Amino acid sequence: MADPRSVTEGREAAQLPLSLLLALGWLVPGLGHLLLRRRLRAAVFFGVITVSFVVGIFLQGELILPQPGDPLSYVAAIAIIGNGVPFFVAKYLGLGHGVVTSAAYEFGNTFLLTAGMMNLLLLLDIHEIVRGHKEW
Amino acid sequence: MPDHLSLMTLHALLIAIYFSFLWKAGRRERWIYFCKVFGALMVGAVALGWLMYFFPRP
Repeated sequence: MADPRSVTEGREAAQLPLSLLLALGWLVPGLGHLLLRRRLRAAVFFGVITVSFVVGIFLQGELILPQPGDPLSYVAAIAIIGNGVPFFVAKYLGLGHGVVTSAAYEFGNTFLLTAGMMNLLLLLDIHEIVRGHKEW
Repeated sequence: MPDHLSLMTLHALLIAIYFSFLWKAGRRERWIYFCKVFGALMVGAVALGWLMYFFPRP
């Protein structure tokens, strides 16, 4: 059962509709928390996810997109696109093709997939805060 | 390319920071949780690596 005071605080902090907060939180890691006035957490989440994404690109990881006949690629694509704007910027810049022969390829993929999953998990956290189920 | 242990350490570090801020509120609680997650990831990975000696590649 949520504390009524935290429910009120969560709703007061959310001056934007939940759907918009979730969309912005997906596009820019940490932005959802920033809009909910969780500045420290927003900065940490932005830093961690951005570093993880950049390291993944640097290690020649692949920005995986759905491939017909490869069911796992659909799951991977959800995680990769979960990175939001960094994904689109990297695609626009022609990065993230993935060099399978590189020794760092799997490491790069791990960092990229992890970054996307962390960003998607933040959306659940934003939802919890707005609904007042979480106090901080 | 940095060696595997460095990359694993960096990954564990990022994950531990992320989850300590996601799930814990106070400074002390975050530090304790960070140490637990970071330690579990590092020790777990090394332990699994050792276990793989019993299952050599054919």
